[in-house]
Amino acid sequence: MDIVFTAATVRYGGRDARPPLHLALCERRMGVVGLNGSGKTTMARLINGLVKPSEGAVTVEGLDTVTDEKAARGKTGFIFQNPQHQMILPVLAEDIAFGLKNRGFTKAEIAERTEAILARFDIAHLARRRVHELSGGETQLAAIASVLVTGPDLLILDEPTNQLDLRNRAMIERTLAGLPEQVIVITHDLALLDGFDRVLVFHAGRLAADGRPAEAVAAYREIAAC
Amino acid sequence: MLNGLHIEGDSPLHRLPARGKLVLLFVTAVGLFLVSDLRVLVPALALSTGLLLSTGVGVREAFRRTRFVLFTVLILAAANYYLHSPHEALVVFCRLAALVLLAAAVTATTGISAFMDEVTRLLMPLERRGLVQAADVSLAVGLVIRFVPEILARYRDIADAHRARGLPVRPLTTLVPLIILTLKDADTIAMAIDARGFRRH
Repeated sequence: MDIVFTAATVRYGGRDARPPLHLALCERRMGVVGLNGSGKTTMARLINGLVKPSEGAVTVEGLDTVTDEKAARGKTGFIFQNPQHQMILPVLAEDIAFGLKNRGFTKAEIAERTEAILARFDIAHLARRRVHELSGGETQLAAIASVLVTGPDLLILDEPTNQLDLRNRAMIERTLAGLPEQVIVITHDLALLDGFDRVLVFHAGRLAADGRPAEAVAAYREIAAC
Repeated sequence: MLNGLHIEGDSPLHRLPARGKLVLLFVTAVGLFLVSDLRVLVPALALSTGLLLSTGVGVREAFRRTRFVLFTVLILAAANYYLHSPHEALVVFCRLAALVLLAAAVTATTGISAFMDEVTRLLMPLERRGLVQAADVSLAVGLVIRFVPEILARYRDIADAHRARGLPVRPLTTLVPLIILTLKDADTIAMAIDARGFRRH
C-alpha cells in the first residue's frame, strides 16, 4: 500500500510544528525513530487522519486523509503508546467484537472473525478476561488483535515494546515479524528494527535520515550524541 | 459494574435477554415502591437473594459486591427506625435491599455489550427526533464502566506516590492530579475511538 505525503505541514497555534514533508512509503516493514518531540508520532497520526495536515496532503492508497477520511482510516490500524487506552470495552472478546459491530458485520460474522483473530494471536484463553487485568504483553497482543480484526492493510504501532519485559518484547518482535500486513513502528527500541525494510529518522520536525536500518540507526545515533 | 462484575454462567437469568432483565428490574422497582406490606416485601427480599445466588456468584462474593449499598440501606432503615417506627424501618430495608440484590443479579448476568445495545435501542426514538446520538450515549456508558477500574488504579498509584514521599494522602492533593491525568487520558481515549472507527457518524 502506498502512503504519500505531499508538502504536508502541521501547524499548532499558528506555528509550523514541522516543515513540509514530501515522502512516499510503500515498504512492508518500516521503522520511525527520533528524539522525544521530533515529530514521529505526528507523522504517524497524519497517516490515519488523527492529525490533519494544515497544508499539503497525505494519501493512503490514493485516499486523501481529509476528504476521504473514513475510507483512508479504514485502511490503517493504530496501536497507541498505552494500548490500554484503546481497549474500549471491559472484556477482550467484546472489545474485539465491538469494532466489527460498528462496521456492520452480522452476528455470525462477528463471532467467526473474533474467534479467528484470537486464535491467530494465540490468545483465545484471554477472550473472557477483563482488559484492565491483562499483562503488558497480553495487552499489546490484544490491542493488535482488536485492530487487525477489521482488516486494515497497514498497522502503525507507537512504541510497542515500551515498558515490556524481555520475554514480552521478544514475543512482540516475533509477532511483528510474522504479520502479513504492512507495518510502521515508531520506537526507541533500535534492536526491534533489525530486518526492517526502511527506517526514517526524524529530528526537530524534519526527516533527517531515511534508509536501511543500519544506516538510519547510525545517523540517529549521531543526532542523539550531539 | 456490569462487565467488571459479570459472571459467566448458564443460569435462567443468564439466559434471559438483557432487555427482559432490565424490564423485570424496572417493573419490580416500581412494584416494590407501591407495596408496603411486609408479607410481600419479605418474600421479595428472599426471592432477590435467591436470584442473586442462582447466578453462581457465591455468598461471600455477593456480600462483597453489595455490602456498601446494603450498609447505606441499613443507615436509611435506622433513620426510619428512630424517626418513624420499627415497622417502617423494616419496610424500607426489605424494599431497598430486595432492589439492590435484584440489580446485582442483573449486573452479574448481563454483559456490557448487550447492555449498550439496549441503551442504544432505548434512545433511538430520541435520536430520530435529533435530540441525541444513541450510539454515542451507549458508548459513553460503556466507557464509564470500562474505565472505572483504571481510575481507581490511578488513584491508588497517586496515593502510593504520596506515601512513598512521606506525604499525607489528602483529598485535594490526590484528586487534583487524578482529575488532570484522567482528562489527559480522555484525549487519548477519544483519539483511539476515532482511530478504531467506533463513532458511526
